[in-house]
Amino acid sequence: MEPLSLPATLDALGEIGRYVKSAAAAAGLDRDAAYSLRLAVDELATNIITHGYEEAGISGHITVAAACSPQALRVTLEDRGRAFDPRQARMPDEADLARPLEERQVGGLGIFLALRGVDGFEYSSEGGVNRSILTVRRPAGS
Amino acid sequence: MAFSCEVEVAAGVAKITLQGELDASVAGQFKSAVEQAAAERPQKLVLFLRELEFMASAGLRVLIFAKQKMGADVAIHVVGASGPVLRTLEMSGFHHSVYISDTFEG
Repeated sequence: MEPLSLPATLDALGEIGRYVKSAAAAAGLDRDAAYSLRLAVDELATNIITHGYEEAGISGHITVAAACSPQALRVTLEDRGRAFDPRQARMPDEADLARPLEERQVGGLGIFLALRGVDGFEYSSEGGVNRSILTVRRPAGS
Repeated sequence: MAFSCEVEVAAGVAKITLQGELDASVAGQFKSAVEQAAAERPQKLVLFLRELEFMASAGLRVLIFAKQKMGADVAIHVVGASGPVLRTLEMSGFHHSVYISDTFEG
């Protein structure tokens, strides 16, 4: 699919969601896999827009691109905001997840859900371009 | 589908109905609804999610906010959540802290 490039504001999330949903449908992902991928992209895009751009006082674009091979659908997010490798985030562990809501910390849940919802995740930051690549296996025969 | 959020408080029960797609761009509307409900000091918060098609962690954060704002003794009920939304709640461990049901009586 043609990449989609949008100004990096939270208003971009709806359009990014629609793009990922149509890529997932074209790749033949089932409903649950499609939802998990859309959630993962939404969470990572939210982090890029909020932390990489808005909190860093930088304005720019976020680009999403989907590419399909016979085995997998690959979604790449690119930005030029402040670099942040989601794998370095502190994520909730089993004890945190069992804690009652009134004692919960708010951070880390989004990245936790994102990385749990896909089959593969890669991140790189080179020459000012940050790139997150999410991979989901396609069902056999699609 | 565009997000919408309606609040109703009566007889100590706050009811919030969410529809559409709840991502970080609209979570502020849900948070405002929770603040509006909290001002009435309800004994119970009931969230109707049957028409909620998508919920990101921004929605989960509002649930944490609701519990912290209203107090641990205000029970939160989640009614009619669809499969993927329910799975997100469970993966995040929220099913330990809220009552999940398909329908709500009362």
